Amino acid sequence: MVKLDEKVEEAINELFSTDKPWVTIVWDDPVNLMTYVTYVLMELFGYTKEKAHELMMKVHTEGKAVVSTGSREEMEHDVARLHEYGLWATLQRGDQAL
Amino acid sequence: MTDHDSDKQHGFHRHGDNAFVAEFSQSEREVLINLVEQIIELLGERTDNHVDDPLAAMVGITTHDSPPEDDVLLRLLPNAYADQVDAAEFRRYTESTLRSKKYGHSMSMRITLKSAEDGIIEFDHDGANDWLGAMNDIRLALGVRLKVEQTSHEELELLAPDDPMRGVYAVYSWLGWLQESLIVALMDEAI
Repeated sequence: MVKLDEKVEEAINELFSTDKPWVTIVWDDPVNLMTYVTYVLMELFGYTKEKAHELMMKVHTEGKAVVSTGSREEMEHDVARLHEYGLWATLQRGDQAL
Repeated sequence: MTDHDSDKQHGFHRHGDNAFVAEFSQSEREVLINLVEQIIELLGERTDNHVDDPLAAMVGITTHDSPPEDDVLLRLLPNAYADQVDAAEFRRYTESTLRSKKYGHSMSMRITLKSAEDGIIEFDHDGANDWLGAMNDIRLALGVRLKVEQTSHEELELLAPDDPMRGVYAVYSWLGWLQESLIVALMDEAI
């Protein structure tokens, strides 16, 4: 595995943060099953079971979680797919307070 | 319905690589058909604030930019933005697509149920996703009626025998159990 120089890594992160300024947020709701939220995140985003489970737990315990980041168009697409499966999702600028 | 003592109470299980199977009693099947048909009806054209525009309909633009007035429909077709102006704009261009995708899930579930006269339901991974989406929409709808946002599970468990919501809660719980059994069967595959 290649280890990146810290400065390079910082520059890359910055590049991507300006390139991907929008976020998709999933909100907690009392109907959707925990296993269902995990499954939908795996199915729609191709996340591993571990990552999907971790995001689901964040939604469950903190009330919300950012599940994807990208351009506005990409996030609108993600929100539409989450709505299709009944998850309560919204999108917003990444620099906006959650 | 909530009588879970028969051998049919295993919910869904996996058969081979890409088949998911469950067996329902006649009454269970009828309840599921009835529920999914209610969702199909609900997802039909909105009658509130509707203006016909065939050209817009053809390219998937609805004339709706306001959120549905019905609480259940609002939960099924929620706002994508906190900001009302952005939410209205997004809805205008996407609501009809979302509606037709959900309609597709429910129709898929209905067709499987209707054709399974022996009560044995079988579908593949895509069918499973249709069923999950459709069952979830039914649970979201029942959840709004049960006011699960404002009511604790304990309160719902303790509904009086003559409370009409008691039966609704029983169906809601049963569907949750059924949905869970399908997810477990699907996750098995994903490992």
